[in-house]
Amino acid sequence: MAIQVSGITKRFNDFTALDSVDLEVKSGELLALLGPSGSGKTTLLRIMAGLESPDGGGLLLNGEEALGLKPRDRQVGFVFQHYALFRHMTVFDNVAFGLKVRPRGERPGSAEIKRRVTELLELVQLSPFAGRYPAQLSGGQRQRVALARALAIEPKVLLLDEPFGALDAKVRKELRRWLRKLHDDIHITSVFVTHDQEEALELADRVVVMNQGRIEQIGTPAEVYDHPASAFVYEFLGQVNRFDCTVEGGIARVGDGALAIPTQGGVQGPAVAYVRPHDLGVTPASAGPARISGIHVVGPDARIDIDLAGLSLEAEMDRERLATLGIAAGDRCAIHIDRARVFAR
Amino acid sequence: MVAAADSDGALAGKGGAVTVRAPVPLFRKPSVLPGFGLTLGFTLSYLGFIVLVPLAALIFRSSGLGWSGFWSAVTTPRVLAAFEVSFGLSFAAALTNAIFGFLVAWVLVRYDFPGKRLVDALVDLPFALPTAVAGIALSALYAPNGWLGKPLNELFGMKVAFTPLGIAIALTFIGLPFVVRTVQPILQDLPAEEEEAAASLGASRFQTFRSVILPAILPALVTGFALSFARGVGEYGSVIFIAGNMPGLTEILPLLIVIKLEQYDYAGAAAVGTAMLGVSFVMLLILNLLQQWMRSRHAR
Repeated sequence: MAIQVSGITKRFNDFTALDSVDLEVKSGELLALLGPSGSGKTTLLRIMAGLESPDGGGLLLNGEEALGLKPRDRQVGFVFQHYALFRHMTVFDNVAFGLKVRPRGERPGSAEIKRRVTELLELVQLSPFAGRYPAQLSGGQRQRVALARALAIEPKVLLLDEPFGALDAKVRKELRRWLRKLHDDIHITSVFVTHDQEEALELADRVVVMNQGRIEQIGTPAEVYDHPASAFVYEFLGQVNRFDCTVEGGIARVGDGALAIPTQGGVQGPAVAYVRPHDLGVTPASAGPARISGIHVVGPDARIDIDLAGLSLEAEMDRERLATLGIAAGDRCAIHIDRARVFAR
Repeated sequence: MVAAADSDGALAGKGGAVTVRAPVPLFRKPSVLPGFGLTLGFTLSYLGFIVLVPLAALIFRSSGLGWSGFWSAVTTPRVLAAFEVSFGLSFAAALTNAIFGFLVAWVLVRYDFPGKRLVDALVDLPFALPTAVAGIALSALYAPNGWLGKPLNELFGMKVAFTPLGIAIALTFIGLPFVVRTVQPILQDLPAEEEEAAASLGASRFQTFRSVILPAILPALVTGFALSFARGVGEYGSVIFIAGNMPGLTEILPLLIVIKLEQYDYAGAAAVGTAMLGVSFVMLLILNLLQQWMRSRHAR
């Protein structure tokens, strides 16, 4: 089912959480709402679910006006960051809840409920835990119960609010892969909220980058990473080196000429240039303008802190390349920039 | 002392040659928190002096009657009727408080309205008021010529003061804060997300209340009920003014004990007190076990 958001606005007292947001979620896709905290992404998700009502705008679920509908009538599965499982119910009863509360005429029989719940628990790989209480499960298991519970009502849309936010790094990665695979299997239209750019880029079909209640960019993970529409998107998606510069005739000059970067596009005058750490080249040079202030090896990669006339920069390369360069902390070096994005200031 | 033995065992085990199992301390899980012996000792002796010694004296006093004397003292029609009045009406009052006290707590937690702080403070008034004052106020109010007693009598033919209903009202008055104050904090900490989850799963407000909210607050509600009930059984001051104190009809147990004392029937008074103690203890024990069972279902 497709979701259409048009001109949704939401204010909390003086704070504008959403400022006339338009968005279309295509049927069957996995969409990420990505942004820093306070960007309005969770509010947008809660409005889709009916847990929050907007001050203005429209919402269509599968072409039908949905703002007048209560959450229970929207056929939306919602997964909360902190699971929100019913503490006094077993895993089985949690998953069965959505089926058991249906009105008498639509409620499946108890044998049918048992069959469906068993099937869902198999899907989330928790069959042996049906009789346990949420307090007896790990975070990852709880989140999978929450997912099974949301799927039990056969929702048309699945909405996930920071679904991996409360989990540790390793479990988070596993669950992320698992969710991607699940989505490939059942193709339910899904929207998830995250502040983790890596999560959004890895998991989603399309990414919506939000900032201060507005959408900055919508695109595939490759599009938003390679062609960021604004300085904010560039800065938010991964590590950056930022230079205040002046562009003249296609050359961006940093500071008092310590660095000259070739640019494309028609930006002129005062601007900001961004360079990803892996686009920043380092060569040893005894009379070079920069100095290496530290080298940190993280797994297979090396992060190099560079001091360029008082400006702190960061470069990234694999360890083999670092070994062939033969540089150490305290050495002087030259830097060259292969690629930079320049935005007018 | 016990802790030292623990660490010795661990050290010996590390040596590798012999495995020495640390002695398992009695009644105690290994913990870094200090002061187990001291606090347990203090708790037991304090409870002993403050609670157990007076109760033992009471039982000792009544034991002078002998078993048959005790039995005949507590099974006279007058005493049995007083038992029924005291426990029956306390139960009814506690039940009323459980329902309406919960409503008050719900409104105080869930809604914002002008004067909320004032209402919140009003709840504690029955705690602060000397019970005799409450009794006089209530009996003046509900007497046949009182502000409320007169219209009730004229319009509905209801008599409140000097009837069991009057006693129930007095007991409800003094027991209300117990329910409100035990339920309120639990309701406050109830995560909104669980209710939102229930709503998005298709539950109606009533279904959400019955299967999500109520189970979460039920242990607190039972505690409030038990406290209100226990207070009602022991209440004296507020009841004697409004009760009318007719033997066999509106005479409560504490009053009966006072009457026996005034007649210098100390052993009889102690016997009634002991029987009262026994019934209360059993009822509170049952409520406690019930509560433990409810908690164990989700707090594991």
